[in-house]
Amino acid sequence: MALPVQERWDLVDAIARKTVTTGTHRQTLGDVLGDLTVRPLTGISVAVAVLYAFWSIFSSFAGALVTDGFMVKAFDNYWLPWLQEVWPDPASIHYFLFVGDPLAENCFEAFGMLTSGLFVSIGVVLPAVLIFYLMMTVLEDSGYLPRLAVLMDTVFHRIGLHGYAIVPAILGLGCNVPAVTATRVLETRKQRFIMMSLLAIFIPCGAQIGVMLEVIPETVGWVMLYLVIGFGIFGFVLDRIIPGSNPEILIDVPPYHWPLWDNVAKKLMNRTKSFLKDAVPFVLFGVLIVNVLYLAGIIGALADLLEPLFVIWFGVPKETVGPLVAAFLRKDLAVAQLSAIAMTPYQMITSVVLVSIYFPCVATFVVMLREGWKELAAAVAVLVATVFIYGGLIHAVGILMGVA
Amino acid sequence: MADTSKTVLMMGNPNVGKSALFNRLTGGDAVVSNYPGTTVDYTKGVLIESGQEYEVIDAPGTYSLEARDAAEGVAVRLISENPDATVLIVLDATRVERGLYLALEVIERGCPVIIALNMIDAARDRQIAVDARMLQKILGAPVVPTSATGGEGIRNLAETIRKAQKADIANVRARADGRFDEPARSGGCAECGRCGGC
Repeated sequence: MALPVQERWDLVDAIARKTVTTGTHRQTLGDVLGDLTVRPLTGISVAVAVLYAFWSIFSSFAGALVTDGFMVKAFDNYWLPWLQEVWPDPASIHYFLFVGDPLAENCFEAFGMLTSGLFVSIGVVLPAVLIFYLMMTVLEDSGYLPRLAVLMDTVFHRIGLHGYAIVPAILGLGCNVPAVTATRVLETRKQRFIMMSLLAIFIPCGAQIGVMLEVIPETVGWVMLYLVIGFGIFGFVLDRIIPGSNPEILIDVPPYHWPLWDNVAKKLMNRTKSFLKDAVPFVLFGVLIVNVLYLAGIIGALADLLEPLFVIWFGVPKETVGPLVAAFLRKDLAVAQLSAIAMTPYQMITSVVLVSIYFPCVATFVVMLREGWKELAAAVAVLVATVFIYGGLIHAVGILMGVA
Repeated sequence: MADTSKTVLMMGNPNVGKSALFNRLTGGDAVVSNYPGTTVDYTKGVLIESGQEYEVIDAPGTYSLEARDAAEGVAVRLISENPDATVLIVLDATRVERGLYLALEVIERGCPVIIALNMIDAARDRQIAVDARMLQKILGAPVVPTSATGGEGIRNLAETIRKAQKADIANVRARADGRFDEPARSGGCAECGRCGGC
């Protein structure tokens, strides 16, 4: 037997009256902080501080401390020379596939499966992913995320989303795969579609950010800026052209908690494990596949075919076609590959932005497919249009600034 | 194995600690965070208690059985697809009235239920007292206070799963109004709750 809604609420009241008694509650420090971090005036300053701290810890730990301080030295001074010495026959195909360029002096340029592949995944991306997830777990477990959602609400409503979309957006900065599933908390199909498209196009994953910090530390800020601007512009446009509603949402803001060490450790372990299990093989085989495609002449042919588009429309060298193929497998790999191509700083910014906004990696593609093939097809259409328009736009900005 | 294993479906509002409780019960790896909507898909795990094997399903949080979004849709689908499941309703002890709405909806569907009064430690800290025995008496199903993060009451909860009860909503209504004197049912349980849950 089912009760009418109103009677059910009446019954809830009756039961609660009989079972719950509230004493006087003193306001705790947590409550005060909770309040301060959702009020616009204080909350926005706290949010800026939190995000800035997040970014600087991330870049100094992952980039400077672990990768530059240790991994680069270990890989370039010991691993690479050793491999180049012991691997037989530098002119052979297997040498090209596994070790890469026999004259390379660092692991980014060698581009063999065991040199660049291992270096990118273990030396650059692993530390980045570790520190990123450690900090994200603290944000998640403390209860800060829903407060950020409240603050972002006004901004996000302009692009057809509500504040809670910040959750998939931030998850996406770690990996787009769980972020796509996390869009399920959004209420309408319109919101989910907008968020999924923006995620796949404009949110770079932790692995990619890690590599960007390593290979183009001086321009990574520009790339991020272009991505944020693109996120805003295309969100705004999508909101106007996609039918459907963008309702308000009531968010439950939980009280702050100290993160539990057990839980932080467990999440960090599981996420690192799944990175090692799922992502590392993709990077290794990605290098292998790209190398095979090079040998087969397919990438060369594609580069010739797409040359006009790349050179005239986007203003980048035609060699960037190869990394774009790799980007479908792993974006971190593609950025690493770009770093070995000679080009101007502005071309580098443009091509890294292109790699970011171009096709989501194959894993993201698969989860998007699981959420609905129609959405995926539409998202791909949006994506193609976006890459074309935004890539051209960035080139135009470069021409206007006189740097392209 | 399949015919002897019973299904336990965990339902409750978002961010009440279902996944934390699930991990405690099954030793599972469900992702736990402090924001509503962490779980958007279900996770399954196994609990063996007194020789009985239970397949425990951690559902995404939902405020009611009328889904508002895709994550809630998953929860609603789970309860439809597992009509024979025991439903473990997880309430946040600091805001019981919020979760009761869903609890009543589940009871009205005729599912055998057991209630975990989770975050009981947080409720104590906030000077909120929930009378678990009275709640058990009114609902006619076992109510176990728990704290998933602290580990309190977990053992008790696992042992109580087998005592899950179907309750009649009309009787719940009567008892909520203070009328406890109903005749014993043929099953032998008067749902009086005095025995501590059958």
